[in-house]
Amino acid sequence: MSLAFLQPWLLALSLLAVIPFLRTGQKALTYSSVALIPEDRLSRAVDWLIRCAAAASILCLAIGLAGPYAREQWIEKFGTGAHIVLLLDRSSSMNDNFSGRHMGGGVYESKSAAARRMLSQFVSRRQDDLFAMIAFSASPIYVLPLTQDRAAIAAAIRSAGGRGHGLTNIAPGLAMALSQFAGQPVTGSRIILLVSDGAARIEEETREQLKHAFRENQVALYWIYLRNPTGARLAQKPKNLASGTTPEYFLHEYFNTMGVPYRAYEADNPEALKRAIADVERLENRPLRYLEKLPRKDLSGHCYAAALLGVVLLAFAKAGEISEWPA
Amino acid sequence: MIAEFHYQIAWRSRSAHPGHHKSAHAGGGFEFYGHASLLSYPDPRHLDVHATLNDPFGQFMVRTFRQRSAIPVYVIADLSASMMFHDKLERLADFAAAVAYSAYRTGDPFGFIGGDSQLRWELFLPLRWYRGVALELYDRLRSLQPTGSGTAGLAQAAEYLGAQRALVFLASDFHVPLAELSTLLDTLIHHDVIPVVLWDSREYRHLPPWGLMQFIDAETGQQRRVLMRPDLRHRFLRAFVRRRRELRRLFMNHGREPFFLIDRFEADALTRYFYQA
Repeated sequence: MSLAFLQPWLLALSLLAVIPFLRTGQKALTYSSVALIPEDRLSRAVDWLIRCAAAASILCLAIGLAGPYAREQWIEKFGTGAHIVLLLDRSSSMNDNFSGRHMGGGVYESKSAAARRMLSQFVSRRQDDLFAMIAFSASPIYVLPLTQDRAAIAAAIRSAGGRGHGLTNIAPGLAMALSQFAGQPVTGSRIILLVSDGAARIEEETREQLKHAFRENQVALYWIYLRNPTGARLAQKPKNLASGTTPEYFLHEYFNTMGVPYRAYEADNPEALKRAIADVERLENRPLRYLEKLPRKDLSGHCYAAALLGVVLLAFAKAGEISEWPA
Repeated sequence: MIAEFHYQIAWRSRSAHPGHHKSAHAGGGFEFYGHASLLSYPDPRHLDVHATLNDPFGQFMVRTFRQRSAIPVYVIADLSASMMFHDKLERLADFAAAVAYSAYRTGDPFGFIGGDSQLRWELFLPLRWYRGVALELYDRLRSLQPTGSGTAGLAQAAEYLGAQRALVFLASDFHVPLAELSTLLDTLIHHDVIPVVLWDSREYRHLPPWGLMQFIDAETGQQRRVLMRPDLRHRFLRAFVRRRRELRRLFMNHGREPFFLIDRFEADALTRYFYQA
């Protein structure tokens, strides 16, 4: 742990700690012959204790004023989990429930709410994983970088609770999710957990870029496809082959050809969603080594606490002082 | 009010000056000295018929007597800063004035020598038959601000006492090392020294039972902080009892029991000191 000071020149005040050893600060009573005072070990000990407490208090205050802090540092941590980027669809269709009706029925929760609930549980179960979150609709929204801060992740997932709007434009979202891994050492499995209820066509050029990025960063992709009962199935080849009408099928095909681990889960009701997430959870339990950055820590509080301790002791001593001969 | 006490001595004064005390000189008195022939002591009032008849040479014999003489009375006072403790100095003033007054009343010459590390000449009173010096001495001692330290000056005092054996009241708190005190007493061996120990019971008896006390030595400036508690207070008392025993032994070895003047000067106690069995 490396120490540093905000205002090191205030450390010069610690020289004042010599004072208690030079004088006591107590009013001295004139005595005819100090040599006659019986030798007393306890008194000597108390005298030294008071002097040392005073010196230590001054020292602690001086150090506290100088503002000590532990520098920011990286610590290595081992996890059993993965780097997981949650890529959450926030298009307007996520406001529908699984039967496809927009806010209808009342008893069913929206796809977005179900996904958030499931993700929250997922995240809270995976204590050792690092999570990042990106929401996307027509364009991606950067929500949270990779972190282990549970509260932050939970808040990020909750924050996606507003009404969704716009289209499902998947490519920029994926690009941003991939950028989370860029430039970081590979210390464990990397996953993009894409939760969406549809897809969009991706240009040929973008496809190549994404494929390249997936391979370079060794990222696995899990797609939880929140399907309407009437929506297209991923595995079934649609009758009218056109990327405009059934982009999901083409996207699935494209993901399959990327050459990175890929799994798709179709979830057409909350239970299926739950199963899909449980599946992901089972799959990704490889050990993980990563560095975590600890912020700089202010240590002056400890100094003040120590000084307070000394000062309380001194206050007691002061209260016990006799500064006048009893009448 | 200046108190008066009475004092007597166990030795014979060699002073020719008539006074109150036993003397080695023959003269007009009541103490039988011996017989002498009328020719050598032509005082027919003291013709002793029985001795005259018994004298083998048939001389007229007269009884001779010893006269009573005066003795020099001195107060040698320790004026070092340790006497500042509370009203020790007032007690010293009471005492010195009482000695001066009693010497006047007894008809003895009186002298006062004070000192700390050296003699304090401004307070010196040479040996004289003073009349009103007691009050003056009292005032001067009361207004004194002692600052010096040690008893080295007192050791010089012997030089100024004169050749005659004198009654010397050595007043001090005697808070000095016993060896130093012993050399001081050795300088005064020629005289009849009455050690007067001026103590204050606040020094050891009336200390607070609990608390932190910081003591500073009036003379050396040495400081000590003690945590007062009943046990330590008891040890203070024991230390002073032991000190009292040591002082007593030392003074007895030098010829006189010390007179302890603690808290209050009682002239009658001093009289009792002189007339005790």
